[in-house]
Amino acid sequence: MEGAVLKVSRLRPASWSIKKSRFWAVATVAILLIFALTACVGAPTEPNWAELSVLDGNLFVAFSHNLVMLEPNDGSFVNLYNEQGNLRTADNGDPLTWNVSVSGQNMRFYTDPLVTSENTLLALSYDRKLFEIEIDAARLQDSAGRDIAGHTVANAVVDGTRMYVPLTEKDLIAYDVETLDVLWRFETERGVWASPLLVDGILYVASMDHSLYAVNAETGALIWERALEGALAATPTLYNDHLYVGSFARRIYQISLDGEVVQNYATNEWVWSSPVIVDDTLYTADLGGWVYALDLSDGQMRELWKRQAATRAIRPSPLVTQDHVVVGSRDHFVYWLDRATGETVVRHEVPAEILAELLLLEPSETINIAEPLVIVATQARDNLVFAFPADGNSQPSWKFPR
Amino acid sequence: MDIILNLFVTLLTFLYRVFANDMVLAIAVFTVIVRLVTYPLTISQQRSTRAMQQLQPEIKRLQEKYKGDREKLSQEQMQLYREYGINPLGGCLPLLIQFPIFIALYSAINMALAATPTQMLDTAGRLLIPGFDNVIPLNNRWLGMDLTLPPDLTAIGTSIESLLPVILIGLVGLTTYIQFKVTMPKPQPNADGKPDQAQAMSQSMGTIMPIMYTFFALQFSVGLSIYFIVSNIIGILQYRLMANRTPEPLKVPASGAVVVDGKAKSGTSVKSSAKPAPKATKAK
Repeated sequence: MEGAVLKVSRLRPASWSIKKSRFWAVATVAILLIFALTACVGAPTEPNWAELSVLDGNLFVAFSHNLVMLEPNDGSFVNLYNEQGNLRTADNGDPLTWNVSVSGQNMRFYTDPLVTSENTLLALSYDRKLFEIEIDAARLQDSAGRDIAGHTVANAVVDGTRMYVPLTEKDLIAYDVETLDVLWRFETERGVWASPLLVDGILYVASMDHSLYAVNAETGALIWERALEGALAATPTLYNDHLYVGSFARRIYQISLDGEVVQNYATNEWVWSSPVIVDDTLYTADLGGWVYALDLSDGQMRELWKRQAATRAIRPSPLVTQDHVVVGSRDHFVYWLDRATGETVVRHEVPAEILAELLLLEPSETINIAEPLVIVATQARDNLVFAFPADGNSQPSWKFPR
Repeated sequence: MDIILNLFVTLLTFLYRVFANDMVLAIAVFTVIVRLVTYPLTISQQRSTRAMQQLQPEIKRLQEKYKGDREKLSQEQMQLYREYGINPLGGCLPLLIQFPIFIALYSAINMALAATPTQMLDTAGRLLIPGFDNVIPLNNRWLGMDLTLPPDLTAIGTSIESLLPVILIGLVGLTTYIQFKVTMPKPQPNADGKPDQAQAMSQSMGTIMPIMYTFFALQFSVGLSIYFIVSNIIGILQYRLMANRTPEPLKVPASGAVVVDGKAKSGTSVKSSAKPAPKATKAK
């Protein structure tokens, strides 16, 4: 301080306004402090994660402001062809690819597209918009989109002429697929962050208000409501006339189709993923990195094994193959666990957190791949999708972007 | 940092439960708790401020003695402040101390009130008491505003509800300004009539700080603005209560240590008021 005063009195002209220079010195420090503190609290992040699905034998990826279709054998963009089957090219000769982007309008996609007609996709944006896309041309029919009632982070469900859209803030809305008229609106206390399960004309809706609802799909009328402990963020799974759903109360519930809680199983942390049931065994994971296998053969949930496979949360549902249970974690690893014991067989590291549902692609008439692949989406746009061999015994077959 | 965040998230959730799911009340009570915890710092700062006021006669004496030699005057003033353990920027200290707290509180509010799935993921595992899981998600709406988002100024109209964001931001700036004015002593001019540099610096901060906090209120969540307002009001009340107490006069005990408000400052010596006359300088 004294040296600064000395410098001021020696170097500055007598006419210099010391008060003014001091004011601006203080202001500069304050502005720098504002920027430093802004950096300390971190930049905003995506509100949700990518969605992977299969469309016409191709891999469909929805993430942030992009909708892309990829060749499953190498992760390249699917090319567009004209009616004669010729490759379509841009003016500069580059092939046109299936890549829909609405970045100019700050829209974001986190849900599977809905196929409503032979050549039309419906894509729901997080930012309250619905877009109709021509599949053949990868083109938005209306770049402005049509308004829907709220944000959406979970897949909508289509049943004939009706589309059921879960809203992030609250409620489930039924729209007419053709006209987008609102048919009915089912009210919840909090958001619906999971797709409803549609079975025999009944929608089973898991809500963040801690309740599981059974709703008439045609009228939107409540059939029953079961209040559980903890928020419900994942779609329930139906197996042998029972619903299985995980909650933030560190429980997995077994519920009869008339809404009665039959049994619950305690987990170590919040359960976000939908249970996966294969061969009378329920597999699920929690946000503490634990993976569980429960035997359902006698109608009860009986623990077979549980393992803390990951060091951080496992958000997506486990993927069950012939020999393995595959899970992806926020700790940047994909784990292959032995189905019988839960022991980690192999793991692979990816550059970012894994929050999206894993996808298993198997060779078929429509899916042109040489071997089964486990598709993993991360939170990094420049390392968004990885395709691993289903047995996990080697490095990724491809990644996107390439 | 995780330990502090987890504590803040747990405490906010606990208060939310106690106050019947009222998040604003939870934030307000949380703020009271934070101010109580930082009260010793506040007391120490105010003691320094009052000591500076009590030192004014000594400062004026220096100004008389070194009139015309600003460099020497500044050196002697700073020496005096050091001997008496006084920080001339002390009025800014409570506001600066709160910075790391509101950084942690900003994150804690967003985590506790998670409005999106990715925010909710960051909340998992942070509740130190497992039974609080059943409270999640917390209600993030208040008077039509989302507590996790910055005030929305795009829908301003004539209704009271649409003006609430503007009122909120205005209250942040106003309460910050009032707190600063209450806590800082009035600047006393030097013998040559010019303002004391250190005090003038503090007064400059009194202009900058309200502007800075208003900027924060525009950028950060509504919940954090509520914290700012409640914290400033408590600060104003604290200083008014302390100001009503008659300050003890500065004492100079026989040991030579300086006593400020009944507490000795060890390791310092009192300069004799009878200083050698300055060397004669050539007339210009």
